[in-house]
Amino acid sequence: MSPEALERELDQLHSAAFGWALACCAGDRPAAEDALQASYLKILDGRARFDGRASFRTWLFAVVRYTAAGLRRRAAFRRWLPLAVLGAISDGRPDAATMVARADATRRLTAVLDTLPRRQREVLHLVFYQDLTIAEAAEVAGVSLGTARTHYERGKAALRKLLKEEPE
Amino acid sequence: MTEHDDHDLGERFHALRREDAAAAPPLRATLTAARARPRHWRPGGAVVATALALVALVLILTLRSRHGGTVDLAGVRLRTPTDFLLHVPGAELLRTVPRFTFDWRVLQ
Repeated sequence: MSPEALERELDQLHSAAFGWALACCAGDRPAAEDALQASYLKILDGRARFDGRASFRTWLFAVVRYTAAGLRRRAAFRRWLPLAVLGAISDGRPDAATMVARADATRRLTAVLDTLPRRQREVLHLVFYQDLTIAEAAEVAGVSLGTARTHYERGKAALRKLLKEEPE
Repeated sequence: MTEHDDHDLGERFHALRREDAAAAPPLRATLTAARARPRHWRPGGAVVATALALVALVLILTLRSRHGGTVDLAGVRLRTPTDFLLHVPGAELLRTVPRFTFDWRVLQ
């Protein structure tokens, strides 16, 4: 795929990719922007290559998920180093500015989503937010279809229960 | 789980998506920031090969120094705390093999 074609594809999926990066970074906007930049860099550098086996969107989301996981691991490692005081390190929680900017309903949804296990949260986001099928969500999350279906059903049940418990 | 519940959840997620889309940084700015990021240094194949060769060399030298040297056993004498018990009259007999000779002339 030529660099121009890549940029065109990224342009079409940019806001969806940003939403996915936010989900991968538990609502932490700076971390999500960092993950998205690192993912785009990998794609433009050719370190991540689209081979056409999946749809471009599925592949892009998998790259973002993998990159965000790498950055999360690196941040977790840096938190244990004495050098952590030298720079701000993501703590894997939503940043205050993003939470304040959200409407009440979406703030409640993100707060409840944060209590779910990561896999369930990811599959629910991919299906309901990104409108992917469960099979596509499984591909992005790197799990089998059966596992994705289990995460989907359990996550959906837990989410509904928690949303009912939460005061309006 | 009814379809209505799924629809309700979908609506909530779509509201979240609209909010995120409105707050998303422009693609151009993201690409510019991406290109300005420092490239992470990654050890190339040559560096990995050199590191492996060094580890192998250290292992070989360590094993050789542990097992390769010859020890002159003739010059070694074990001294134990109970050595004094062997310091008795005629102790030299314990360190030599006695020879028994038979003198035929005595019989004749």
